[in-house]
Amino acid sequence: MPYFLYIASVLGAVAVWMMMPRHGYSPRKLGAVVGAMTLGAMWLYLARHHLPPSDEAGLSQPAMAYSYVFSALAIGAAIRVITHQKPVYAALWFVMVVLSTAGLLLVLNAEFMAAALVIIYGGAILVTYVFVIMLASQAGDPADAPEYDRVAREPAAAVAVGFLLLAVLLSAAFPTEPHQLLRPNPEARGPSDAFIIEQYLTDRPAQRLEELTDDPQQLRQLAAIESPGALDNAERVGFDLFHNHPLGLELAGVILLVSLVGAVVIARVRTEPPQPPEVSP
Amino acid sequence: MIPTFAKLIPWLPALAAVLCGVCCLWRPLRRWAAAICIASIVGAFVISVTISKAVVSRELTHVKVFEWIHASDLKVDFAYLFDPLTILMLFVVTGIGALVAIYAAGYMAGDRGYARFFAGVSLFIFAMTTLVLADNLVLLYLGWEGVGLCSYLLIGYHYDKPTAVAAAKKAFIVNRVGDLSFVIGIFLIFTRYETVSIAPVLEAARGSISTDWRDLLIPFMLMLGAFGKSAQLPLYVWLPDAMEGPTPVSALIHAATMVTAGVYMIARMLPIFELSPYALPTVAVVGTATALFAATIALCQHDIKRIFAYSTISQLGYMFLGVGVLSTVGGVFHLFTHAFFKALLFLTAGSVMHALAGQLDLRKMSGLKAKMPITCGLMFIGCLALAGFPLTAGFYSKDMILTASLEKGINEHAVLFTVLGVVGLVTALLTAFYTFRLWFRIFLGPTEYEMGQEHHGDNDKSHGESVEPGDIHVEHTHVHEPHEVNWLMNGPLVVLAVGALLAGMVCGDWVDAMVSASTANPQATEAVAHNGVHLHGLVMWISGLIAIVGIVAAAYFHWLNRAAADAFAQKYAGAVRVLANKYYVDEFYDRVIVQPLYMLGQVLYQADRMIIDGLVATVGFVPRALGLSIQPAQRGVLQGYGLGMAVGTAVILLVVLVAS
Amino acid sequence: MPDTPLHSLELSHFLLTGAVLFVIGMIGFLSRRNLIIIFLCTEMMFQGVVVTLAAFSRFHLNDTGQTFVIFVLTIAAAEAALALGLVVLLFRRRHTLDAQAWSELRG
Repeated sequence: MPYFLYIASVLGAVAVWMMMPRHGYSPRKLGAVVGAMTLGAMWLYLARHHLPPSDEAGLSQPAMAYSYVFSALAIGAAIRVITHQKPVYAALWFVMVVLSTAGLLLVLNAEFMAAALVIIYGGAILVTYVFVIMLASQAGDPADAPEYDRVAREPAAAVAVGFLLLAVLLSAAFPTEPHQLLRPNPEARGPSDAFIIEQYLTDRPAQRLEELTDDPQQLRQLAAIESPGALDNAERVGFDLFHNHPLGLELAGVILLVSLVGAVVIARVRTEPPQPPEVSP
Repeated sequence: MIPTFAKLIPWLPALAAVLCGVCCLWRPLRRWAAAICIASIVGAFVISVTISKAVVSRELTHVKVFEWIHASDLKVDFAYLFDPLTILMLFVVTGIGALVAIYAAGYMAGDRGYARFFAGVSLFIFAMTTLVLADNLVLLYLGWEGVGLCSYLLIGYHYDKPTAVAAAKKAFIVNRVGDLSFVIGIFLIFTRYETVSIAPVLEAARGSISTDWRDLLIPFMLMLGAFGKSAQLPLYVWLPDAMEGPTPVSALIHAATMVTAGVYMIARMLPIFELSPYALPTVAVVGTATALFAATIALCQHDIKRIFAYSTISQLGYMFLGVGVLSTVGGVFHLFTHAFFKALLFLTAGSVMHALAGQLDLRKMSGLKAKMPITCGLMFIGCLALAGFPLTAGFYSKDMILTASLEKGINEHAVLFTVLGVVGLVTALLTAFYTFRLWFRIFLGPTEYEMGQEHHGDNDKSHGESVEPGDIHVEHTHVHEPHEVNWLMNGPLVVLAVGALLAGMVCGDWVDAMVSASTANPQATEAVAHNGVHLHGLVMWISGLIAIVGIVAAAYFHWLNRAAADAFAQKYAGAVRVLANKYYVDEFYDRVIVQPLYMLGQVLYQADRMIIDGLVATVGFVPRALGLSIQPAQRGVLQGYGLGMAVGTAVILLVVLVAS
Repeated sequence: MPDTPLHSLELSHFLLTGAVLFVIGMIGFLSRRNLIIIFLCTEMMFQGVVVTLAAFSRFHLNDTGQTFVIFVLTIAAAEAALALGLVVLLFRRRHTLDAQAWSELRG
C-alpha cells in the first residue's frame, strides 16, 4: 500500500519540478499532464482500495465524492500558486485553494469554519495580498517581469525535500498494518448537545423554529433538519471556544492588537524615505 | 640650618624644572621660564658658596634627604655627601650653569620651545648636582642617567630636524653601552663590599692591593662607564653629533659639565681604581690616545662646533691622563679651567652662529673682526686658554698633567708614562694649531661670509634694528648683516673670559687644597714624588713654547698665507681626507656593530614572524578553515535555512516513525 | 454534531490532502523568490493544517479542532498584516522583492 504512495510522491515531485518556473524552456504542460495523471491514478486507487465498508463509514458516499473533488481542486490550485510567474495570478489561485479548503470543511461538517475561512482568507487576507502585490509590482508582459518571479530558486532541492517530507507524512497517515489504524478516542469526544443545553444553556429559547416562520410547511421542513434540542456547528464551536479556551481567546486578541500596532508602525511612510543603501561597488 | 640649605642645591633647579614645565603649557607664562631657571641656578650657586666653608672645615659631610630603598641588605638613602671635591664640582656646575643660562636667555629668545629649553636645563642642573652630591652609587647612577636623559632631550631639542633626532638617539644609545658597564660595576661593588654607599666603600678599598677578582674587574667596569659619558675612545662618537643641540647646551652639557662626569667619577672612586694595578694606566693610555686622536681629527674639520667638540674630547683625554697618572689635582684642575674656556669658546661660537644665521662652516666665513669686535676678543681669550698660551688657565692645568706624567715616567722608570707625556706635548701643539686655525679663519683675513639658512626666531628684537624690505646685502641674498650680540649674551661671556684668563693663576692652590682634602687624593705616590726629579719648570717652558709655535704656524697658514695651507692640504690630500672623515670610525662602527646587529634583528624578526607568528596563525587558522568549510550553509539566504529546517523535520519524523 | 465519527480510512484521505497542501506550500516557500509569494505559501501551509485539524475534529467528534482553526486564522491574519507591512518596508528600501537581496546581516 505505501509503495503506491511512494511512487505517487516521486511522480508528483517530478511533475511539480517540471512545472516550476525557470530559465529557458519549461516543460510545464508535460508536468501538468504527469501531475494530473498521478493525482487521478491515486484517487482511483484510493477510492477502490482504501474506503471503509459503507456501514462503518462516517461520511456519506456523495460527501466522500465531494471530498475527492475539493481535494483535487485544492491540490491543483496549490500547484498553480507556486508555479505561476505572476504574483497576482498566484494570489487568485490561492483564493481557489481557500475555496476548495472551505469545501472540504463543509464535507467535514465544519460549516462555521468554512464560512470563516472564506470570509477571512478569501476576503480580508487575500485582498491585503493583492493590494501589496499591486503596490510592489508592475503590470505588463510576463517577459518583463522581474527575474525573481520568473525563475525559481533551487526547485530541485526544494521539491525533493518537500516530497520526502510528504512521503514520511503519508506513511504515517496510511498505516500498512490493521492494528496501526488510528481509532477515535472516546474520551476525547465532546459533550453532547443535550448535556450542554441542560448544563449551560438553560435559558436557550426552545421555540426558536416557531419564531422563524409561520408557514407550517416550512416549519416541518426545518424541523426535519434541526431538532430543537440540537446545537448547530457555530454554537458548538462558540461554546468550545468560550468555555474551554478563554485564555487562548484573550491571547489571540492581544496578538491581533499587537500586530495591528506593529503593522502601523512598520508600514508608516516617513516624510522623507531613506535613500536605498548603496550596494558596494 | 646649613644642612637644610644644602638639601636645596638640587631641589631648587628641580622645582624650576617643574615650573618651567608649567610655563610650557601656557603661552603668556613662557617668557618667565628663563628667569625661573636662572634664579634657581643662581640660588643653587649661592647656597654652594655659603656652605663651602662648613664643608671645608668638615662641619658638613652628610645630609640625608629621605629614605629611598630599604630592601634586605640593600640600604639606599637619598642622601648627599659633601667634601671639598663636591664643592669644587658644585661651583663648576652651578656657576657655569648660571652663566650659560643667562646667555641662553638671550640666545634662545623668540624660540618656539623657549620654556621647554629652560625646563630641560633646570632638570639637567638637578640631575648633575644629584650626581655630584650623591652619597651612594645608586643615587650617583640616578644622576648619571638623569644627565644622560637631559642630554638626549636637549640634543633633540629641534625635534623636527632629523639629524638632531638621530644625534640624540646616537648619544643615548652609545651612552647605554657605557652605562651598562657602569651598572655592572655597581653590582660588583655591592657583592664585594655589601654596600653601595661611597664613603664605606672607599674606606674599605683604601690601602691594600687586593687580589679579589672583583676588585680587578670593578675599575674596568666603572672606567667604561666613564669613557661613555666623557666621550673617550672607543665611545666618543656621540659627542661630535651632539652638537646638533642648541649652542648653550653644547657649552653647558657637552663641554663644561656632563662630559666631565666621567672624570669626576674616577676621581671620586680613585681608591677603587688604585686596587687594580692595570686600571689607572689603562685610563691614562686611553685618555692620551683619545687626546691625540681627537686633536688630529679637529685639524681637518670645517664645522666650528665640531672642531670644539673634538677639542673637548681631546681635553677630556688630558683629564683622564691626569687622573690616570694619579695627578687627580691636575685632572680636576683641568676640568675646572676647561669648563671656563670651553664654555666661553662654545658660547662665542654660538654668537658667531647667531650673527651669521646659523652658519657654521669655517670656509664660508672670514674677517669678521670688524663686524663683531667683542666676540672676536672673547674668543681670542678662549683660544689662548685652550691652546695653553703661557699664563692662561689652560696653560697651568695642562702643564700640571703633563708634568705629572713625565715625572711619573722618569721617577718610576716607566717608559709608558714618559711616552704618554711626550704624546701629550705633541697634542698640545696640534691643539694650539687647530684652535688658532679656527680663530684666524673666522676673524682675520678678507671680510667674506655667507649667511646660513637658519633664521633664529628672535624676529629682530635682539638686533635693535628693524629690517626694511629691500635692505638686502649686495653680494649675499640674505637679510641680516653680521652684528655684535647684545650684552645679555656678552655679559656672561666676559665673566667666563676673566675665568679663562685668571683661573689658572688664581685658583691653582685652592684646587690643589680642595682635591687633596677629598677622597680623590691619591695615597701611593706621595713619597716617590717628593724624592724624584722635578720637571715643573722645564715642562712649563716647553709647553709654552709649543703653544706659541702652534699659534705662529696657524697664523702663517690661516691668516698670512692661506694659499700655502691649501697647497699643503693638496699635497697630503689622502691624509686630509682620512681626517676629514674622522678616520672612518663611524663607518667602521656601522659596519662592524650596527649592521650586524641590525641584520641579527632582522633575522630574529623574521624568525619571530614566521615561526612564532606562524604557529599562532596556524592555531588561529584551523577554526577559520572549519568555519570557511561550513560557511556556505550560513550564506544568509532565508530559504536556505528553510530548506535545512525542512530536511531536519523530515529526518526527525522518519526517525520517529521507524522507531515506533 | 454528527453522531458517527470519521472512519480511519476516510481520515487518511483528508490527511493526505492536508499533507499535500502543506508540502506544496513548503516547496513554494523554499523555491520561490518573491517575498509576497513566499508569504502566500506560508498561508497555504496553514490551509493544509486547517484541513488536518478539521479532519481530526470530525474524527474524534471534538470541537476543539475547529476552535484551533480559529486560532490559526487569527495568527494568519496577524502574520499577514505584519509580514505584508514588512514586505512593503523592505521593498521601499531596496526596490526589489527578491528575498536574496536581504541575505546580509547588516543592511
